[in-house]
Amino acid sequence: MSIETGVLLAWPHWEVIHWHLPQGRSSGYLPDSRDLWDVIWENRAKVWGFAHSHPGSGITGPSYEDLTTFAAVEAALGRRLYWPIITSDSEVFCKWKGPARLDYVTFRYDSLRKTNPAWLAELRRLSYDL
Amino acid sequence: MNMEAKVIVTYAGQTGDLPMPVDYDASDADIRRWVTESLVTGSVTGIGAVPDADLTDFIVDRSEANTERAYPLILCRPKTAFG
Repeated sequence: MSIETGVLLAWPHWEVIHWHLPQGRSSGYLPDSRDLWDVIWENRAKVWGFAHSHPGSGITGPSYEDLTTFAAVEAALGRRLYWPIITSDSEVFCKWKGPARLDYVTFRYDSLRKTNPAWLAELRRLSYDL
Repeated sequence: MNMEAKVIVTYAGQTGDLPMPVDYDASDADIRRWVTESLVTGSVTGIGAVPDADLTDFIVDRSEANTERAYPLILCRPKTAFG
């Protein structure tokens, strides 16, 4: 049992800007939220990325819904972000590579696991400890 | 009677208004098309021309007039759903 959860992160040290736990979220979906966009826009000068959870374990990757949201948010902001996605025991980062609109690459970021930031543990707790 | 709405769009790190109001009940597709054309031609107040503007995954968010705002408002913003 799990429920998708998100967190908006700031640079340079991935400080938490906003926990995203909208009504209507489920094990496989975070619904569209104007509130989330408002928070992203209000914090556009410092936002570094948005992490969210996927159900299950093992290495995951972005869904088509994820990719189209990445592209739309970046088009509105006028700059690129990092998009971590986690499972119960793994995490990947997504970043636009181009040249096409939805050409995102997924990569492991082992130093994240070594530093084990507080937001990562909290995102797992909110997503999987139900 | 058709109501006219102000349209605000956020794109390329800027926020601006369409130069003319639109029918509040216009379809999402029409509004996205008008906003895209305005961005491409540089006619959105507050946003410079964006020749490759693409609003494919933008949401058309409508708010009726209220006690604080006498006119209906349409926001064109990115979707924020994740799967």
